[in-house]
Amino acid sequence: MKRLTLISFILLGAILLGACSGAAMRGTSWPGLSADTNNAYIANGQYIYAARLSDGTKLWQYPDKAGAQEFFASPLITPDGQLIVGSAGTDQGLISLDPATGKEKWPAPFTGGKDRWIAQPLALNDTLYAPNNDGSLYALKLATGQLLWSLSIGKPLWGAPVTDGKLIFLTSLDHFLYAIDPGSQKITWKVDLGGSVAGSPALSADKTTLYVGSFGSKVFAINSADGSIRWTAKTKAWVWSDPAFNSSNVYAADIDGQLYSLDASSGQNSWANVIPDGPITGSPLLATDGVIVATESGFVYSLDHNGKVLWSTSVGGKIYTAPIASGNLVLVAPLGAPYLLYAVNEKDGSMLPWHFDGK
Amino acid sequence: MSWWDYIILNPFTNVLLWIYNFIGRDFGLAVILFTILIRAITWPLNAQQLKGAKVMQDLQTDKDWLEIQKKYAKDREKLAQEQMRVYKERGINPFASCLPTLIQFPIIIGLYQSVTRALASTPLTLLQLGRSLYPFMNNAAGLIPLNSHFLWMDLGRPEGIPFPGGFTLSFLPYGFPTLAIVVAFTTYLQTKLTLPPSSNPNDQTASMNNMMSIYMPLFLGWLVLNYASGLAIYFVASNLLGIAQYAMMGRVNWRNLLPGGSKPASSNAKNGK
Repeated sequence: MKRLTLISFILLGAILLGACSGAAMRGTSWPGLSADTNNAYIANGQYIYAARLSDGTKLWQYPDKAGAQEFFASPLITPDGQLIVGSAGTDQGLISLDPATGKEKWPAPFTGGKDRWIAQPLALNDTLYAPNNDGSLYALKLATGQLLWSLSIGKPLWGAPVTDGKLIFLTSLDHFLYAIDPGSQKITWKVDLGGSVAGSPALSADKTTLYVGSFGSKVFAINSADGSIRWTAKTKAWVWSDPAFNSSNVYAADIDGQLYSLDASSGQNSWANVIPDGPITGSPLLATDGVIVATESGFVYSLDHNGKVLWSTSVGGKIYTAPIASGNLVLVAPLGAPYLLYAVNEKDGSMLPWHFDGK
Repeated sequence: MSWWDYIILNPFTNVLLWIYNFIGRDFGLAVILFTILIRAITWPLNAQQLKGAKVMQDLQTDKDWLEIQKKYAKDREKLAQEQMRVYKERGINPFASCLPTLIQFPIIIGLYQSVTRALASTPLTLLQLGRSLYPFMNNAAGLIPLNSHFLWMDLGRPEGIPFPGGFTLSFLPYGFPTLAIVVAFTTYLQTKLTLPPSSNPNDQTASMNNMMSIYMPLFLGWLVLNYASGLAIYFVASNLLGIAQYAMMGRVNWRNLLPGGSKPASSNAKNGK
C-alpha cells in the first residue's frame, strides 16, 4: 500500500511535469503547410499528411507508424517532383517523399545536421539548401540528398532561404540577414537587424530589394546587392513572419496583432491602426483584392488595400501557420482545432464543406 | 494567458532572464543563481518543514504515543481520536511538515517551466517567451536567442556524450547520459543524507523515506534522460543546495551513507549492529 502510494505520487509528479512543459521539450509547435494545385501537405506532430483539395480525402500519411520524428517545418515541393521536409525529432532527418505516394525518394534521409530542422529548405537548380537549428546551412544534391557542403553560421536558422538566382539570402536567430554565394560557399555580406529573425525575407520583383522583419520590432528594406539598409519601419512588437510584397506595398504583421502596409520605396505606413483580433505569426497572403491574414484567435481576415475588412471567417483553434493559396482557395492549418486543415474561398471567405482531420 | 502564467511563470521567466543578462549571458550560471534565489526565498518554508518533520519524528519514540499505538491497535477510530488528543495537548500540527512541501510544489513546477520557456527551442515556445516578457526587459530582443551552451552541454536539449566510433543505442539517442547519472546520484545523496534517524522499527515514515531514496533518483534521472539539460542543472543545483541547507541547520545525517545506517536503531540493535 505504501509502495503504491509512493509510486502514485511519483507518477502524478511525472504527469504534472510532462503536462506542464512536455510540449516545449518534445518539440511541439504549429503545423507546417504547403500545397500544389490539387493537394495540400501538412506537417503536424509525428506525421506528414497529404490531403486532396477537391474533397478533403486523405491520400497518404508518412510515416505509417509514429516514431522519433516530429514535423513542423513546411514541406517543400520541388520543381523535380519531390516533397522535402525536415524532422524536428530526435532522428534529425531531412526526408524526400514522393508527393503522389508519400514514399521516400532518397536512398536514405539526410541525417548530417546536428540538430532539428525547423526551416523549410530551398531548391535551386540541382541543389537543396537546408538551414538547420544547429546554425549551419547544408547544401545537398537535390536528387539524392547527398551532402555537397555546409556552411556554419552560428545560431539557429529558422527562416526559409530565398534566392535571386545567384545569392542565397538567409535569416538567423543571431539577428543577421546573410547573403551567401553558393559558388564560393562564403558569406558575401551580412546585416544586423537588431533582433532575431524567424521569418524569411521577401524579394522585390526586380530582385534588388529584400524586405524582412525582426524581433527588434522593425521592418527593413535591404539592398540585395550589398546589404545596405534602404529604410527601416518601426512596428509595435516583434515581427515574426515574412512580409508580403506586391508592386508598391510591403505588408507586415507583428505579434501584438497589428498589420502594416508600408510603402515599398519609403517604408511609410499607410495603415494607422489595423488590428484584426489577435497576434499574427503567419505571413500575410497576397490576394486579388488585398491581403489575407490569420490570427491566433482562430480567424481568417481578408482586407482590402486600405486595410478595410472585406470578410472574416472563424476557423477555430489557434492559427500560427501562414495561410497559403491554392487556386482560389485559402488553406489554413490551425493548432488545437478539431481539424488539421480548412479551406475557404478567397473571394468571400465561405468555408468549404469538408475538413481534413488526418484520419 | 492563464492565471498560472501571470502569477508564477511570467515572473519566474523574467527574473531568470534578468539574471542571465546581468551575469553576462551564461544560461547555466543563471539557472544555478536562480535556483539559489528560489531556495533562499523558500528557506523559511523549508525550515518549517524540517521543524515539523522533527516534531513528528520525536513523537514516534514518545512513550505515551507508543502506548496509544499498542493499546488501540485494533480500534482505528479510537486510535485516531487519541492521536488527535495528543496533537492537541502538545500543540502539534500533524500537517506542519506537509504544508510547506505542498506550497513549494508549484514553485518547483514554475521554476522548471520557466527554464524550459526561456530556452524556447521551438517556434511555439519562443512565441510564448516573447509574449511573457515584462516591459522592463526592454532589451529582451537583444537577448534572444539565449546562449544555451554551458560546459559541454546544450541546455536546450537532453544531455549525452556521444559514444566513440559513432556507436548508437536506441534507448540512449543522445549518447552516454552523464548528467542523468549525476542527477540521480545527487538526488540519492540528498535523500539519504537528510533522512532523519529513526529508532522505531515500525516507523512508517522512515520506511516511506527509504523507498523515496530509491524511486526519486530513478524518476529524476529518467526525466533528465528525456528533457532539456537546463532542467538537470536545476536538479543538481537544487540537490546540492538542499544538502547545504540541511548541513547548515545541523540536520545532515552522514551515518545514512553507511551500509545499514538508515535502518531503525532498535532494528540495528536486534541484528547486533
